[in-house]
Amino acid sequence: MSLDSLHPAVTAIPIGIAFGVILERTGLGDPRVIAGQLTGRDFTVVRVMFGAIVTAMLGVVWASTAGVVDAAAIALPPTDVPAQALGAVIFGGGFALAALCPGTACVAAASGRRDGLAAVGGLFAGTALTPVAWPVVRGVVADAPREGATLARDLGVPLGVVVVLLTIAAVLAMVAGRLMERRSLAHSAWRPTTPESVALALAAAFALADSRGLVTGTQADAIAQEIVAEADHVDALDLAQWIRDGTPGLRVLDLREHLDTSTYLIPGAQPIALEDLDSLRVAHGDRLVLYSDGGAHAAQAWVLLRVRGIRDALVLKDGMAAWEDEVLSPMHPAVPDDTARARFAKARELALWFGGFPRLVPVDAPPGGTRPRRRRTC
Amino acid sequence: MTTVRAGYADATLGGIALGMVLLASFLVAGRGIGASGAFAALAGPVASAAAPGAIGAAPALGVRLPTRFEPWNDWIVLQLLGVVVGAIVSARRAGRWRAATNDRAPGRISRAVAGGALMGLGARLAWGCTSGLALSGGALLSTGAWLFIPLAFGTAIIVTALARDGRLEGSP
Repeated sequence: MSLDSLHPAVTAIPIGIAFGVILERTGLGDPRVIAGQLTGRDFTVVRVMFGAIVTAMLGVVWASTAGVVDAAAIALPPTDVPAQALGAVIFGGGFALAALCPGTACVAAASGRRDGLAAVGGLFAGTALTPVAWPVVRGVVADAPREGATLARDLGVPLGVVVVLLTIAAVLAMVAGRLMERRSLAHSAWRPTTPESVALALAAAFALADSRGLVTGTQADAIAQEIVAEADHVDALDLAQWIRDGTPGLRVLDLREHLDTSTYLIPGAQPIALEDLDSLRVAHGDRLVLYSDGGAHAAQAWVLLRVRGIRDALVLKDGMAAWEDEVLSPMHPAVPDDTARARFAKARELALWFGGFPRLVPVDAPPGGTRPRRRRTC
Repeated sequence: MTTVRAGYADATLGGIALGMVLLASFLVAGRGIGASGAFAALAGPVASAAAPGAIGAAPALGVRLPTRFEPWNDWIVLQLLGVVVGAIVSARRAGRWRAATNDRAPGRISRAVAGGALMGLGARLAWGCTSGLALSGGALLSTGAWLFIPLAFGTAIIVTALARDGRLEGSP
């Protein structure tokens, strides 16, 4: 039973409740606390925010290393530098005036604060009026933002380095915040507290594991095992069945080169070049099926995706040739035993559904050779 | 130098707890937590009904502002509903329900409305707000998130210094 098949409320509401309780308990629904941060009197915002970012970041990198989650399948906000820079400045101005952000405005309103309710009304109006302001700001907005842009990739720095530097910066900010808040108290407050030390240790351990290839080493080993076990393959007939059944999350990718508009694609397939694969956005619950003519390109793409952490990707066994032979024009078995007969019955039905022509009687075998044709395999 | 925190939970522990909730969201829902996306899901269809075609005419706007009204199937809207429920329960249990005394002055209300409106536009331009972009995107090391964090907070610090709101100073 996958969580994806449940109603979104099953995960959304409990997570939202926990989010709301934490914002209220830490005082972030109180504009005085946020104004205190913006004037340097109070460091609750910095401490909560960096504490949460570091905790969740370390959780994701370790969960991904342990194989619990595909980090690449988690929805990542896109990047569009000019639009986001202008948006951040406009947002920052509003943040200062309201002394609340969108989430904390809802918490303030839910605590019975009238300014919170006013900010919620302003947010609704500002969002609804975005089309009115659009002609003024649209000049800086890219037609399509960059998907999958991360600091490690954009700066060309190993992930472990980014994780350690960010953890150190966040812990320093949190310690500084504590010191500024109780300047005259606590003599040893400069020392990291237990949670801060744990975060630093986890970040350092991840960087060490990452740089020594422990993480990628295990990954390469696991990938090799999957290739040997052929767990990475799907049969043409099975794929045809999935397409016909409308399997949720199924995405078929065509990696053949030199495609033009007249080329036959497997129904529903999306053409993509090997070099564009890096920017392919994969959603949670997507199952990718890759194919090329013989299968070499598809297999290379599979490895690239797998290294990115995408696990639910399969290669169509024997590629387009198998689709043509087994789905579009399946051949009546020469030696019809029960298994072969059942397989042909299924193939025949699928062939008709996909608009192919099942070869019912294998009479016209050309002299000097019989089909199926020879295929390149991966 | 007084701090304004009184009766609120420890910020570091609160931050770790929030990080755990965010991590749980990444693992079970495949996405981070947010807020401004829910406003877009609710206000987008209203804007679309008021001026049909205005949103679809600009492709970069169409991807930022949904026109279909389906809040009961929208993860982020349901999540924000949870935030409101959680905050009401928490405020009542902590004795903070309607306890504020500095929230009624006309100047305070008009600043909150204007600030909210600016944040609504800014968040659409930036693909998110302090929750969905800065917090969730920040934890995933998104480049856009780490651009947004210093710029939004830097601007907010400057604007606060220029237009200080006396109603928000002092201890509760």
